Parts: sequence; C-alpha cells; structure tokens
Amino acid sequence: MKFIIVTGVSRGLGLGLTKALLSSGYKVAGCSRSRSDALNELEMSNDNFKWFPCEVGDATQTQTFVSDACQWAQAPLWGLINNAGIAKEGVLATFPNVDSDELLQINLNGALYMAREALRMMLRQNSGGRIINISSIIGSRGYTGLAAYSASKAGLDGLSRALARENGRRGITVNSVAPGYLDTEMSSTLSDSKRAQIINRTPLGRLGTVDDVAPAIEFLLSDGAAFITGQTLTIDGGITN
Amino acid sequence: MSDIKTLIIAELEKIIAAKGEACPDIVGETRFLQDLPMDSLDLATLLVTLELETGKDPFRDGFKGFQTLNELSALYQAA
Repeated sequence: MKFIIVTGVSRGLGLGLTKALLSSGYKVAGCSRSRSDALNELEMSNDNFKWFPCEVGDATQTQTFVSDACQWAQAPLWGLINNAGIAKEGVLATFPNVDSDELLQINLNGALYMAREALRMMLRQNSGGRIINISSIIGSRGYTGLAAYSASKAGLDGLSRALARENGRRGITVNSVAPGYLDTEMSSTLSDSKRAQIINRTPLGRLGTVDDVAPAIEFLLSDGAAFITGQTLTIDGGITN
Repeated sequence: MSDIKTLIIAELEKIIAAKGEACPDIVGETRFLQDLPMDSLDLATLLVTLELETGKDPFRDGFKGFQTLNELSALYQAA
C-alpha cells in the first residue's frame, strides 16, 4: 500500500482527493489548520487515513507533520500533494501587504517547506516518489483582483519545474496540476453573473468538479506517469484553450 | 578516528554502494564531490542522514562551505 501526504484536506479538492485516494487503496496522511466534521467521519471510518494539525506556512510545523505522518504510516513516503492554499481578493493598489504576505507564505512557502521535508524522506528511501503541486490556471493567465494568488500559483509551477530537474535522477517526479474554476467552497463567493460568464466561456459548458481533477492526480501518482516530470497539467474544461 | 568521521564514512559507503559504484579509500582529505562517485543529491542524502543519526544540524543558521571529510567532521564536532 503506497503512502501519500496531502495538505489542505479539510474541504474542497483536498477532502475529495483524499477520499478518492483512499478508495484507490492508498494510505493517506492529511493536514489542515483545523479539524472538520468530515475529517472526523473519514478518520473514524478508515484506518488508512489520519489527520494531523499543521499550518504549512510554518516550517517547524511541516517538519513535525511529515515526521509524525511517516511514523504513523510505517511505510515509505511515495507522494506529496501540495494542495493547501487560501485565496484573498482585492486590487493590488489597495490590497494590504499583510494579506499578500500571508497568502504567499501559505500558498508558496508552505508548499516549498512541505516539498523539502518530503524530499528529505524520499532521498533517504532511495525508491523514487511523486510530488504534485496544485496550481491554477490563474497562475498562467492572471485574474483581476487576484494578483497575490496568481503570483503564488505561478510560483508553484516554477517550483515544480525546478524540483523536477533537481530530483529526476532519483526517480522522483514533480508536476503541477492546474485546475480551472471548480465548483467548491472556494468558488462559492463568485457572483451569479460571474459564474454564468465563466460557464459561458468554458467549451465544456460547466464548472469543474473534484471528480474531474482527482483522476488526473491519481494518474500522476501512478507508475504509468514515471516519465512525466516538470509539467503543468491543465484541467479546466478548455477555458484557457 | 573520531566517531563522527567513522559515521560519515559508513554512510558514504552505503550511499555509494546503493549506486552500484566501487568506493575508494576515504581519508580525511578526501573531497566528496571530486574524489568520490557522488553528486549533489548524494551529498544531500548524507547530510539528512547525519542530522537524523546525530541530532545535530550544523547548517541550521545557513549553509557553511565544506569539501572534505575533515571539514565536514569539524562542522559536526562544533555543532
């Protein structure tokens, strides 16, 4: 049974992905800042899942989390899914610097800290591995009012490319998955008109769902994806086509 | 030979053996990346292992340069 760490599992894509990975036979350690009822239920009903508290923007907490998770799993670490992230909206000219700092600390530095800890495990194990950074089409295309968020996601794509080069010789692949607009809590703040506009511009005529993204992540975790690294896989219904 | 030198040599031999390479004799002046069949990832693996084995991280406050077994041993002895 392969062991995977997923960050940001309390809701949305992280929660849905965790359920999908468990259904496919993976052992999963997940983290988030706080517990949720859904996590409690998942932990109660599945011995192959354990939740840990961790703020990924805090390097010390990521060290503790990865160490504790690997001790719990009693298995080599096969994969890391860097999914934790926050979104804050506002034009940059009036966007508080403290909000930009917090967003970049969690979305970008958090992923970097987690990748560092995972790579330390994977290098010692010397049996390959997978790192998948959950990016966004907003990282490559930009979006009004989401400058810091866009910068953080573009940064994740750069992180994937650099780590892919750095660790490829050890059979460790590093890729980004860039979803488009997903029907999750994160997109619930979209106005009806904005939502309709996005759907109208999407060739496949709808917002994406967790079920559209999870299979692509599972593919990148699989042996079949062993020769794919440093790539960004866009899953957006064709809106950036 | 100091304990830390003995530990470093033992770990180097494991890392080099895992690559299927022959390990030359290692002495105090042996340079990791020039004299041994190692690359930067092998060196990173060595440092991660040494941190776990010794509980010491000489690089906690920033990277310090070293090339030889003697130089790395001195960093751990001072940490």
